[in-house]
Amino acid sequence: MVGLKTKNLSLQPADAPVQIEEVSGVTRVHVPAGCRASLIDQTESRLEVTVADGAQLSYYKLVNETPLAIHQSFLEVQVQKQASFQSNVFLFGGAQIRSTIHVRMDGEGAECALNGLYVGSGSQIIEMHTLIDHIKPHGTSREFYKGILDDKARGLFDGLIIVQKEAQKTDSAQTNKNLLLSTEARANSNPELKIFANDVKCKHGSTVGQINANSIFYLRSRGVPEAEARQLLIYAFASEMIEPVVIPEFRETLFQCLNSAISTKK
Amino acid sequence: MLDIKNLQATVSDKQILKGITLKIGKGEVHAIMGPNGSGKSTLANVLAGREGYTVTGGEVLYEGKNLLEMAPEQRAGAGVFLAFQYPVEIPGITNNYFMKTALNSVRKFRGLPEIDAMDFLKMIKEKAKLVEMPEPLLSRFVNDGFSGGEKKRNEILQMAVLEPKLCILDETDSGLDIDALQIVAKGINALRSAERGFIVVTHYQRLLNYVQPDYVHVLSGGKIVKSGGKELALELEKKGYGWLENKEPIPTAG
Repeated sequence: MVGLKTKNLSLQPADAPVQIEEVSGVTRVHVPAGCRASLIDQTESRLEVTVADGAQLSYYKLVNETPLAIHQSFLEVQVQKQASFQSNVFLFGGAQIRSTIHVRMDGEGAECALNGLYVGSGSQIIEMHTLIDHIKPHGTSREFYKGILDDKARGLFDGLIIVQKEAQKTDSAQTNKNLLLSTEARANSNPELKIFANDVKCKHGSTVGQINANSIFYLRSRGVPEAEARQLLIYAFASEMIEPVVIPEFRETLFQCLNSAISTKK
Repeated sequence: MLDIKNLQATVSDKQILKGITLKIGKGEVHAIMGPNGSGKSTLANVLAGREGYTVTGGEVLYEGKNLLEMAPEQRAGAGVFLAFQYPVEIPGITNNYFMKTALNSVRKFRGLPEIDAMDFLKMIKEKAKLVEMPEPLLSRFVNDGFSGGEKKRNEILQMAVLEPKLCILDETDSGLDIDALQIVAKGINALRSAERGFIVVTHYQRLLNYVQPDYVHVLSGGKIVKSGGKELALELEKKGYGWLENKEPIPTAG
């Protein structure tokens, strides 16, 4: 069951002891020590989250606005000792979408995973800005963003990971993969690491490419018409981000958004 | 069923096929052998309609129709199947879903309704046994993380599911150990029928120990330089390809 705490946030389980309050336009969410919860965010534009010692929060956000809408959101997260924060952000509709996530890895052994999928077409501009700041030692962070861009759409992934001097034994990996469906679509990818500690494991990588011609031929040689083969491969690329979503209704909604975005592709 | 007449083709402006003439009848198994670079895989890919190959002369009639004019998916629908030398990995699509989509696509070409989901599952499990394909591989992503042998078995499984009339096997034996080779051969033999033709492209004779061909053709320099019965394959195994090319024997490679 999804419980409604504010008009734009829903919590799972509904009776999780998560504190939510609104102070001058900023929504503050506190996940107390040891608590495990999921949060689905509909439209909150400014959100501040604290995940206290040993607590776990999975955060889900879907942006699917009307074609002329402008969406901006700013999420600030503090992950404390042995706590874990996981975010899954899905950006579909809207003329301009800008999603910013700042994570402070404030406690020893903190974990965070930021996942995202953006699907743009027409003249959409979609930007993802992320910052993960490792302050304490033994932190783990993972970042995986995928983009699909058609027509003249532009996508920007701007991801910075900072490993402070004290944050030894940090383990961090950052990946951004983009699929371009037209020659005029653009994907900019700026994965960046700033490391001040000397005993860390960090890697990052990004790719921008088109649908693999061998894969299309493989499907066609099995009888699947070309347009359908392309749709299937776009679906496959995106589903890697949607499949792991554990809330069934939310996953279903995401697949619907994906299918309606793909159905117009030739 | 297949009539190849003086087929010529180029790849990146390089003439690879220099006039191939070959007739495949229903129920016949034709082995195409030859050294590396002789044009074997090019022939297989031209027949399946892969992009990047330009036909510069000749024609190919399949059941009386111009095969070269058909899109790859139309060829599949008409019953042509290519087992790939390097099967493609498609993360994000399960093997089951892939094969159901493929089967329904060719059924559409053949004017048949979509297969019932339960009937499909029953059928695929049965056919998977034919190539000793463990069931968990059916719900994995297509060829993703499969071993070389599993990928080739998956090709034969797709062939069994799609029930083509003309099967083209492109170096299906390459990279297989002897156990995997026997499993794959068993699958191929189970699909042999009086209605189905086979083109078996191979570098080595060893697959032909298990899949006995009716005819063996040697391709060299883009032409068929010798044709014969299955004993020709044995002769090649002993003498190499050199004596047919008037050159030094070409070292074997995988």
